[in-house]
This record gives sequence, C-alpha cells and structure tokens, in this order.
Amino acid sequence: MTRRRLALVGAVLLVAACVERFTAPGHCPDFCPSGQITIVDTLLTTSINRDSAYRGYVLAYQTPLMLAAHLPGATGILDSRPIFRINGVGSRLVLSTTDTGAIRGADSARLQVRIVRRDTATHNLWLHLYQLRLPIDTSTTFGSVVPFTDSLRSVNIDTLLAQPGRKDPVTGDSVVVDTVNHHLVLSLKLDAAAARYVGTDSGTVAYGIRIAADTLASIAFGKGTFGPVLQWYLRVDSLGKDVARNPAVLGAAFAGFVFAPPPAPLDSTLAVGGVPSAHSLLRVAFPKFIRDSSQIIRGTLFLVPAVPARGAPADSFVIEARTVFADFGGKSPIDPRLGEAVVIHPEKRDTVKIEVTNLLQLWAADSTHPTVLMLRPQLEAQFLGEIRFYPSIAPLVRPTLQVTFVRPFRFGVP
Amino acid sequence: MRRAVGTVVAAVALLTASPPVRLSGQDSQFGIRGLGTPGRWESVRARSTGGAFGPFDGLSPLMEAQLADVAQLTATAAGGTSHRDAEVSGTTTALRATRFPVMGVAGPVGRRFVVAAGFTTYLDKSWDVTLRDSLPLRGVVRPYTDEITSDGSVTDVRLAAASRLSRRIAIGAAVHVLAGSTRMTAERRFDDSTFHPVQQSADVRYDGLGVSGSVLIGLAPGLSIAGWARSDNRLRAKVADTTSAVTDLPLMAGGGLLIVPSASARFAAAAAWRSWSKAGAGAFDTWSWSAGAEFGSRRMPIRLGVRGGQVPFGPGPKAPTEVAGSLGTGRAFAQGRAFVDLGLERLERRGGGLTERVWTVLVGLTVRP
Repeated sequence: MTRRRLALVGAVLLVAACVERFTAPGHCPDFCPSGQITIVDTLLTTSINRDSAYRGYVLAYQTPLMLAAHLPGATGILDSRPIFRINGVGSRLVLSTTDTGAIRGADSARLQVRIVRRDTATHNLWLHLYQLRLPIDTSTTFGSVVPFTDSLRSVNIDTLLAQPGRKDPVTGDSVVVDTVNHHLVLSLKLDAAAARYVGTDSGTVAYGIRIAADTLASIAFGKGTFGPVLQWYLRVDSLGKDVARNPAVLGAAFAGFVFAPPPAPLDSTLAVGGVPSAHSLLRVAFPKFIRDSSQIIRGTLFLVPAVPARGAPADSFVIEARTVFADFGGKSPIDPRLGEAVVIHPEKRDTVKIEVTNLLQLWAADSTHPTVLMLRPQLEAQFLGEIRFYPSIAPLVRPTLQVTFVRPFRFGVP
Repeated sequence: MRRAVGTVVAAVALLTASPPVRLSGQDSQFGIRGLGTPGRWESVRARSTGGAFGPFDGLSPLMEAQLADVAQLTATAAGGTSHRDAEVSGTTTALRATRFPVMGVAGPVGRRFVVAAGFTTYLDKSWDVTLRDSLPLRGVVRPYTDEITSDGSVTDVRLAAASRLSRRIAIGAAVHVLAGSTRMTAERRFDDSTFHPVQQSADVRYDGLGVSGSVLIGLAPGLSIAGWARSDNRLRAKVADTTSAVTDLPLMAGGGLLIVPSASARFAAAAAWRSWSKAGAGAFDTWSWSAGAEFGSRRMPIRLGVRGGQVPFGPGPKAPTEVAGSLGTGRAFAQGRAFVDLGLERLERRGGGLTERVWTVLVGLTVRP
C-alpha cells in the first residue's frame, strides 16, 4: 500500500517536473540580455555591372500557345496571327480490308480550336478563319503569309456565346465553356465550299486566324493537346459510286503564330519577355561583408523601365529573377531551385521591384555560387509583352539592390 | 526491505527520468543581464534548513572540511522543480523549471582522508526573453517580435579532500573546474513577412578554475564552528573557439555555527560574503545569511530554515535582495543505507522593479552502499 502511495506521489511529481516554461516578456534594458539584434539596411547602387540581354530562347512555334492579337501601339498595330497546318489522310481512303477508294472531295469538315486565354472585358470579338497556301512551317514569316486573302469563315464569339445552347443553328458553329480550365472550345463547321480536300496535296490544309474586337483584342489558342483538330466528312469512290466516310480526327502537324512588327533589336537595355523570348543577365558584385558575416533577411532588386512595357493591357505577364549554376553569358544554365517573380503590367513605367531574398541567401550560404541574376519571363514566349530596363551604364537609373541584413549577434557577452 | 527498495527506485526515477535534465540551479530574471544566477551549493537537507546546515553537512559542496566525518562511501543527488512568478511593471509571468543542482560521491581513503567528487551549479544561464518592438526600416515603421534564449549553465566540477586533524579540528580543500555551455539563440520575426525571420544561434562554452579551503572546529560538545574561503580566477566564454568574454569571478568567504543541545535538536546559522562586483557593471558584492533547525531523529527529522541576502546581478545602484523560508523532512531506508530527503522552499527576490516569488519542491537521494 505504502509502495503504491509512493509510486503515485512519484508519478505526480514526475509529471509536474516534466514541464518547462522559460519564456517571459522582456523588460528592457533592465531585464534583457545586453546583446541586441542589429539590423542594417543598405542600398547597393554600384554592385550590378556587366549586364546584357539575349534573345532567342523560345521561338513562336516552340510555345504551347498560338497568340492572336490586334493591338494599336506606339509603333503601329501589333498584329499576331495563329497559323497551323493539318496533314490529310492522302488521296485514297481504306474502305474495307481489301479495298481502297479515291477521295473525291469533302462534303464538309469541322474545325475545333480552343481559346485558352482571353480578356473577358473584350467585346465583340471576331474570329476570322482563312485558308493559307502551302507550305507553312517553322520558317514561315508574317510577310510570307499576310495578308490573308482566302477567307473561309468569320465567327463572332460573343454572339455565339449568347446563342441558346451556345450553338448557331444556321452555321452549325458551337462553343463549349470549359469551366474547369476556363477555356472556350470553339467548333466551326466548314461547308463544302470551305472544306477543300485536295487530293494532290494529300488533303493537307493550312489555316490562319485573325481576330478583331471593339477594344484591344488579344487571345491565345491552345495547341498540341488543346487543339486545333479537324474532322473531315469525305466522299470516297467505291466502284464508281461515291460513299461517305469520316476518317479519324486529325491534329495539327504544325502550329505557331506570326506577328508584326517584330520586337525591336536588342540594344544596351535589359530586355525581358517577348517572342522570341529575351533574357537579361545581371552580374552582382556581392559585398564580402554581407556575404560572409551576416544573415540576409530581405533583398530587393530595383529595375527602372527604359520604355513602357509592350503588350496588351490585359496580358500582364510575369518575369522572374533566377540565379545560374555557372556564368556562361546568355547560355548560363539556370538554377531552377529558387526564383522570385513579379507581375509586369504593360504600358506601365513604374519601377519594378523584385524580392530576391532567397537568391541572396543562397549566395551567402554557398560562396562558390556565381552571383549572377538572370531575368526571364516565367512563361517563355507565351505573351507578346516585353519590358526593357535601364542597364548599369545608365548612372541615375541603373539596376540597384537593396539588402537588409543582420549583423552577427554577440553571443557569450554578459 | 522491499518497501525501501521500491522507494529508492521511485526516487531515482524522479531524479533522473525527467527529460529536461539540466545540471543547474535555480533561474532568475535577475541573472539575464549579468553572468547568470549563482547556484546553491547545498544538499536537500541543508537547503531545507535555509542553507544553515551547509557548512556542516558532509554532502553539501559548500565546504570540504565536513567531509572528514563521512565514514563510508556515500553518493547523493538532488532535484528540484521551481514554480516562479516574475512580476514587473504590473505584469506577472509564470515560469517553471526542473533542475538537478547537486550530484556527488564521497568516501574515505585510508584512515585519515576522505575524498569527494561531484558537480554542482555555479551559474545557471537558462532564460527565454520575448520582446515586442518596432523600428523604421525602408521608410516604414516595422513591428517585430524578438525572442532571445539561453539554455545551459556553468557547472562546478569539484575534487575535494578532507582530513580530521584531531577530535576537534577538521580541514579540507578542493579544486574546482568550471565548465559548461549554453545554447543561445536570437530570433526576430517581423509582422511584415517580406522580411525573413532572423535566426542566429551559437554554442557558448565556458571555462574557469578555482580553489577552496575550509576548517571545522569543535569548540565544545554540541558546539562547532566552520569557516571557508574560495577563489575562482575568471570565467572565459568562447564561441566557435574564439574568446568572446573574460569575466573576473568573485572571492568568497563564509562561516557557520552549529549547536546540538540534544540528540533530537540541532540548530545552525551561516553567513557568506562574495565579491561579485568584480564581474563588472551591474554586479554587486553580496552578503547572505541563514538560520535553521533540525528536530527529531536522523531517521525521520523535521527541518526548518530561513535565509536572506543579496542577489549579485540587477539593475540600478543597489543589489536586489532575497529572502526565503523552507521546511523539509527525510526518511532513512534499508537500515540507514538510503535516505530520501524532501524539501519545500518559498523564495522572494526584489529589486529594480522586479519581484520574483518562487516555490521550489526539492527531492534528494543519498545512498550508502
């Protein structure tokens, strides 16, 4: 019995003893440690040097989007047009396991394109579909295909969306709103006149799209998984008699976009974004006293735009600052681990601030890491927008770095 | 016998199983700005009498001469849990800590000498301070919260020897190695999360050396006096093998009086002086006194005590003061081979606008195998 009581008392005392609580509000200076955390904020105005811009990282046909735009700007109208080629099934079609027939033509066709990005504030959005002359490929330029002349169809997207069931009973066009991905899946019916299956071209067709709207028009079409696709409704010769056949849905063998005017040539400014995408490299002379003996708690890169950012107002784009594994100029391999991003609003000329704390902390932790910042668009060549910043050779508006750091705490000093 | 073994096992578990095993004494907010909070070099028995029995208790590491009366190999350990209310500017904070301030072993070597080894807390340096403030940064006033912590202590590792020169006189001496470390952290969190949290930490290591000597004189049957002195050189603090501070340590001296009028009543008083002002600004020389009594048989005594004095570190021109009352008891088991001592202490410290009130529950275990 006594042992049980002792065990109980022991257990209670043990539980009570297990709890430690030291934390108390400090009443300084009388009952605080003598050492204090010392914060220093410094503006490094001359630490960024040997900066330059490079273009050509991602080309128009390499992006997962086809950009369509019709935007008045300071240098004229920015006109961007998707173009794509869909290879046909050939001049003959398999009718049965033992028989093929010559394709005599197409009764109709249905082209499906997917609008993956649009400005809902843009009204009266027209989509004009043109057939283009073959061939079109990665070397096709704006000048080689524009003006589009062979008009096939014109569709008003807003009108179609307002139709009951989002389907036009007259033209056979329809639109489906993909609420999950916020896409518009547009299905255009091409009648016999527009659906031209030319056997000598193996049924290959090329189309171009031009858009227009009451206000600034800028949208993006998907490609690859997100279209465009074409369904042919063919007439095939079977022992002298035409029979209807529907071959498999065909995807685009080539999809891209062409635009004009092209981006201005690179100069001494630091260009970021655009198509083909441009990167800018900034070399930072990171002060040893910050790197070696302190903890960085905030770092901000200040960049002054040399010109207002180009692009549609609704097409804000994101640029990011990253560091590189090694400094090979424009071909420096980018370190994918850490990146700091900022949204660029076209036509604005405010100073751009990018928080680069994580990058500076990386440099402080790894003294072998090159102290180089690479500015690039987060989505390469998926926006026409481009921004250009003043370089380090512009003394009053050069890139600067503001660093807030903590001096080493004086531990062990009473 | 079985009951005694069970009790000893429970006491051992209580002393050793608590997770926050720190060989340190009692914390105080007064020690934050100074070197720390000096430890109490007393067994639970001595502390239950206000410390008055410290010069005469063979298991208290205050002196060495009384070791001469340790007749057989003896090991002791003490643990204590403190509940502390720190009140400053009308704000009271409840704090709690568990400490193991004394561990030691002593035994005779040959016929004339008794040697002892053990460790006790020299300075407790465990505290955690939070602070709310703001500072202008990048043109905006930024509120932040600081938390600065220290966790650890400076331990006094003692090797002592004592000898009884005659029936009336015993002397002793010891060398003290001061060693220990604290894990210190300094954190700052801004309300604005664009500023990353500040987090710095370091292990601070301490070292120092000291010597002490003491004498115990029996003036008459039932009447003894004791005197002791100690000198430590300096406390060196090193961070990553770089000396960050060197602080002079105090000279200390003290004495005590023991009166034993009968087998069931023992009275003692003690006083000590310490020149802590050598430690620098904000440190003061201190006097401390204590008086206590022990009644009943040694198998299960009742102990009472009071003590008072000064705290060596604090703000302002005067040393903070402290006063405490204590009581306790003990129980012998296993035919006197094991002792469990229990104590309860109420302490109050005042100074510089701060008042600390502390309840401390003490448990001691002594084994004579």
